[in-house]
Amino acid sequence: MDNYSFNNRPPSMPPPFPGSGSNRNSIASSLHSTRLVAKPPPTLPIEIIATILDYAPVSTLMRCARVSKKLKEMVYDDSRWVNKLVAMGVWNEAEARTRFEDALKRKRMAQMKAAEEERRRRAASLGANGGGAPGQQQKGISMGSTLFDMDEQQAKIAGPKAVPADKLAGLAQEVDLMTINTQAENIADDSRRLAQEKQQRQLMGVDTSDPSLMIFTDVRSARGYARQEYGRVYAALWPYYIDLVTSRSHADPVVFRRFRNPEDQAVMLKNLKIFSDSDSSLGWYERLDRLNSMTSIFENAVLREFESGYEECDYSGRMKRYANVLILLNGGGGAIDLFVSKHYLMFERESLGNPMDCFTNLHSADITLDPARDFFRKLSEAVNDQSEIIDQIFPPNVDVMIPFLDRIAEDVIGEYIGPLLDESHDRDIASYLNCITEVYVSVIQFSKSIKPAKGSERTFPEKILEIVIRIFEPHYDLYLTEELDHFKRLCEEEVESWEKKITDEYIATESFYMSNINRQADKVDFLASFKKVILMPVNAIPLPPMKPINIAFPAVVNPFNLRLKPAAAPTAPPSIADSQTENPYQTTLDVPDNHLNGDDTGPTPPASDGRTTPQPQVAPTNELAAKAAILNTRMEGIRTLFSIELALDLVHKAKAALERAACFVRFGGRIGEEAKDQCEQIFISLIQILGQRHVKSGFDKAVTHLSQYNPRELSTAEEQDQVIVKPLVQFMELVNVGDLIQQMLDVFYEQELIAHKLSDRNDFLNPAVKEKKRFEQMLDERVAAGLNTGIDVLIKEVDYVFAKTQKPTDYNPGIVGEPGLPTDLGPSEAARKVVDLVASHTKLLVGSTDKNVLDVFNQEVGMRLWASICKHLKIQRISIDGAIVLISDVNHYTQFIIKLRNSGLTQYYNALRELVQIYLIDPQHAKQMAAVIADGTRFKGIFTVEEVYEFVTRRSDWYQIKKDVEKAMYGFGCSVM
Amino acid sequence: MAVIKLLSSDNVEIPVEKDVAERSVLIKNMMEDIGGHIDDAIPIPNVNEAVLRKVIEWCEHHKSDPAPPTDEDSDSRKKSTDIEEWDQKFMQVDQEMLFEIILAANYLDIKPLLDVGCKTVANMIKGKSPEEIRKTFNIQNDFTPEEEDQIRRENEWAEDR
Repeated sequence: MDNYSFNNRPPSMPPPFPGSGSNRNSIASSLHSTRLVAKPPPTLPIEIIATILDYAPVSTLMRCARVSKKLKEMVYDDSRWVNKLVAMGVWNEAEARTRFEDALKRKRMAQMKAAEEERRRRAASLGANGGGAPGQQQKGISMGSTLFDMDEQQAKIAGPKAVPADKLAGLAQEVDLMTINTQAENIADDSRRLAQEKQQRQLMGVDTSDPSLMIFTDVRSARGYARQEYGRVYAALWPYYIDLVTSRSHADPVVFRRFRNPEDQAVMLKNLKIFSDSDSSLGWYERLDRLNSMTSIFENAVLREFESGYEECDYSGRMKRYANVLILLNGGGGAIDLFVSKHYLMFERESLGNPMDCFTNLHSADITLDPARDFFRKLSEAVNDQSEIIDQIFPPNVDVMIPFLDRIAEDVIGEYIGPLLDESHDRDIASYLNCITEVYVSVIQFSKSIKPAKGSERTFPEKILEIVIRIFEPHYDLYLTEELDHFKRLCEEEVESWEKKITDEYIATESFYMSNINRQADKVDFLASFKKVILMPVNAIPLPPMKPINIAFPAVVNPFNLRLKPAAAPTAPPSIADSQTENPYQTTLDVPDNHLNGDDTGPTPPASDGRTTPQPQVAPTNELAAKAAILNTRMEGIRTLFSIELALDLVHKAKAALERAACFVRFGGRIGEEAKDQCEQIFISLIQILGQRHVKSGFDKAVTHLSQYNPRELSTAEEQDQVIVKPLVQFMELVNVGDLIQQMLDVFYEQELIAHKLSDRNDFLNPAVKEKKRFEQMLDERVAAGLNTGIDVLIKEVDYVFAKTQKPTDYNPGIVGEPGLPTDLGPSEAARKVVDLVASHTKLLVGSTDKNVLDVFNQEVGMRLWASICKHLKIQRISIDGAIVLISDVNHYTQFIIKLRNSGLTQYYNALRELVQIYLIDPQHAKQMAAVIADGTRFKGIFTVEEVYEFVTRRSDWYQIKKDVEKAMYGFGCSVM
Repeated sequence: MAVIKLLSSDNVEIPVEKDVAERSVLIKNMMEDIGGHIDDAIPIPNVNEAVLRKVIEWCEHHKSDPAPPTDEDSDSRKKSTDIEEWDQKFMQVDQEMLFEIILAANYLDIKPLLDVGCKTVANMIKGKSPEEIRKTFNIQNDFTPEEEDQIRRENEWAEDR
C-alpha cells in the first residue's frame, strides 16, 4: 500500500481535494528542522490525476490504463465513456435503463432461485431447526449476489458482439447487460430499425457493406459497456479523423481516396462530424476547425455539381443525385438554398406582372386589381409546377416547399405588392384601403392553391399561413393606422359637411320652428303617424333583438361587397315634407321598395300594399320599411339637430373599416392583437364622432331651443284647438332617434365586435365597452337635461294657458251681470286646454322611453302641474256657484292624473279635490269652515293650515265671513271670556 | 489598493495586492470570514516561497480575468480550452515545480491555475509509454505482465496507427 502515497492521507483536509499536502506539510516541517534528508519528488493526489486524464486524448488514456489498477479503474469508469457517447448523440438513456432493469430482474430471479435452493438445502440439512432461517437466508442471498461465473459471462459477451470482449471482466459488473434475450421484441425492434436505416441509405446510393459508414446505426446503449461501444466507433473513425485533420490539401485525406463515390464521402464526413463531438482532449478546436473547412470544401464541390445540373435542368439525374449527397452530408440545407435562390421565378418576376399595371391612369387614383389577381394566378401555376420538380429532385423526407415558398413570398410577392401598396397609398387612401384587402384575399387564395410537395409536413397549411403573415408584416402597421385615420377623417368630413349644410338652412328653418305657424293640421297628422311608426321598431326590437337593424345592415359575408348600403340618402327631405301633407306613407314606402328589389327576393313586396291601403298597421309590413318610414318622417322634425341617415352612413363606414381590419385579426399573435385593438379603436371613434360630435350637439341645440321657448311670443298658437309646445315635441322625437341610434350602436357592437370576437363584452376595462357606456350615459344625461327643460317649458305653457283662457267668470259667475247658475257643468275651457296640452306631451313619450324615465317624467309633470294649479287658484276669486265649476275642473285634472297611474301624484290631487270643497261651504257655517282650516291632518299633511287659510281667502265672500272664521279659529277663548 | 501579507511555509512574508490574492478562493473566503481586513500575515503552511511567488505571478497576470463559471454541469462534459500562450510559457518549469504549482493551486483553490497545470501534465504524458507515465506520477506497477498485456490487447483500437 505504500506505493499509493496519495491513498494514505487522512480524508479530513482542506478543499477541494482533501489531503493534497498534509503529509507534505509534516514532511516539509520535518525537513525544515532537519534539512538532511533529500526532499522526495512531489506526487499528485489521485483526484488531480483524474482531472489530468480528462484532458488526455484517448490513446494516452488507454496507456494510462496499463499503469496501475487504480488508474485503470479511473480510465475504465463507465461515465467517462457514456459522456462521449452522449456527446455524439448516440446514447439512449431509456434503452440503457431497460437493459439494466431487465438484467437486474433476471439477476434477482437467479438470486431467488439460488436462495430457494440454499434454503431447501439448509432446511434439509438442518431438519426441523428452521427458527434461525431469516438471518441465514440473508446470508444466502448475499452469497448469491457475489457469485460470479466468469466463464459464463465471457461466453455471453463473446456471443452476440463482434467487438473485443472484455475478457478480464474486471469491472464489478455482475449484471449481464448486453444480452437481451428476454426481450425478443426489443431485439426485433432494433434489427428492424437497423434494416430500415440500411435500406434507406442503400436507396440513397450509399455502400452499406462498409462498416465504418454504418458505424452509428448499431451503437448500443448499455451501462458498463460504453467503453467497448465507444471503442468500436473510435476504431472505425479515428484513423480517418486524424488523417483528415492533419492532411494538407483536400486531395490527400484517406477519406476521399478510400471512398470514391460522393454519397459515401458525404456519409463519412457526417460521421466524422459526429465523432468530433466526442473529441474533448486538448487541441480539439483546431481539429474541428480543420474538419469543418474540409467539409465545406467538399460541400462546395458538390454544390457546384448540383448547380451545373440545375443549369442543364437535369432534374432527375445530376440534381437528384447531388441533392442526395448534400442531404446525407448535412440535411441538404445548401442544396435547398441554392435551389431556391437560383430559381428562375426569383429573376423573372416581371414576366408575371407589373404592379403598375393596376393603375389604369397615370396619376389618378383609379385602380383595378385584375392584373394583381392575374399575377397571383400565374404565380400559383408556376409554383405548382415547381412542386412537381421538387418532388423529382428531392427525396420525400426533405421539405423544400416551405423554404421555397418563403423565398417566393419575400422576393416575388413582397416585391410585387410592396410597390403596389405604396403607390396606391400615395395616390389615394380609400383605394389603398380597398387595395390591401383585395391583395390580402388574393394572397390567401394563392396560399390555398398551393399543392404541398411530397416532402411537406402535415403542418404545411400553418407554415403557409406564417409565410402569408410575413408578407403582410411590413404593411399592416401602416394599414391599421391609415384605416383608423381614414375612418375618422371620413366621419368628420361627413359630419362637418352635414353641419355646414344645416347652418346654411338654419336661418330658413329657424323661423319655421319658432313661429309655429305652418301647417298645424299636417302636424297633427304627422304626429299621429309619427307615433305609430315610431312605435313599430322600438317595440319590435326587444322581441327579435337583432332584427330591425340586422336587415338594415345585412350581414355581408363578403367584406368587400358593400352594395347593400341602405340608401336612406336618396330621399330628399323637402319633397317628403311636401308629400307628407297628403300621406306620409306614400313616399316613405318608396324607399324600402328600392331596397327590397336590391337585396330581398322574399315574399310580396309591401310597397304596393302600402300605397293602396295607407293604413299605419299595414304600411310598415317589414322592419326595413318601417325603418325607412321613420327615417323620413323624422327627417322632417329634427333635420337640423341630427340625422339618423348620417348615423347610418357612419355606421356603415365603420363596418367597412372593421371588416377590412378584421382580415388581420385572423393572423393571430401580435398582428392579430394589434388589429383587434384597432378594431376597437374604430368602434370607439365611431361612438365619439357619432355621440360627442353629432348626437350631443344635436341634443344641446334642442335643449337650447327648449329653454328659449317663450309661449307668449306665439300669438297664433291660441287659435288652434290643440296646443303643441313645438320644441318639446321636437325634443321627444330627438329622444327617440337618440334611443334608436344607441340601440343601433349596441347591435352593431354585438354583431360586429362581439360576434367576430374582436372585443370582450365582459371585460369592463375594455376601452370600447367603456366608450359605449359613456355614450349611453351621455345620452341619458342629455335626455334628462332635455326633459327637465322640457318640463319647464311645458309648465310655462300651462301657466300661459291659464293666464290666457281662464276667464274671471269661470269661478265667479256672479261678478259681471246678474248672478246665474252656469249653464254647463263641465270643466272650464282653461282646464280642458291644460289637460289636453299636458296629456298630448306625456303620451309622446309612451313606448319610446324607458318606463322608469317615463315615471319620473310623469311624476315631475304632475307635481309641477299641481303646483301650477295651486298657484293659479290663489289668484282666482271663487264664489259658491263658481266652486262647482272649480270642482269639476279639479276632477278633470285628477282624472288625467289617475290615468298616469302614479299613486304619489294621485294623493296630491285628491287632497286638492278635498280642499276645493271649502268653497262650497255656506258663509253661515263659518265655524265648520274654521274647523276644516284648523284640521292639519285633514289633507294628509299636503296642505298646511296656513296654506288652507290662504286658499280660503280666495273666496269671493271672504271679507264678509273673515271675522266669523277667524273668530272660530282663534277666538274661542275670546268668546268664552 | 489594500495589500495583505502571505506567509510561506519557510516563513517568508510576501506582500500581495488584495484582489490578486483573492484569485485564491481559499483566501477570498477567509477574508470574507474575518471581515475584509487583516494586518497579520496569512500563513500558507503548504507552500514554500518559490512556489508561492510563482503562484502570485500567475495571479497578477490573471487578476482581471472574468470569474470562471461555477455551474456544476460544466464539469460533466466540458470541452477543454487550449492553454493560452502566456500560461504555456509560465508552465515551462521542471516537473517538480509544475507539480508543486498544481498542489498549491489545489490547496489555495485557484481553479483556473489548477486546470492549466493539469492540461500541461496531460500534454506532457501524451505519447508516453505506461512505464514513463508511472515514473512521472511516481506510481508503482501493480499488474502482472499478463494482466498488463491483457489490457493492452483489449484497447488496441485506441493505439495511434
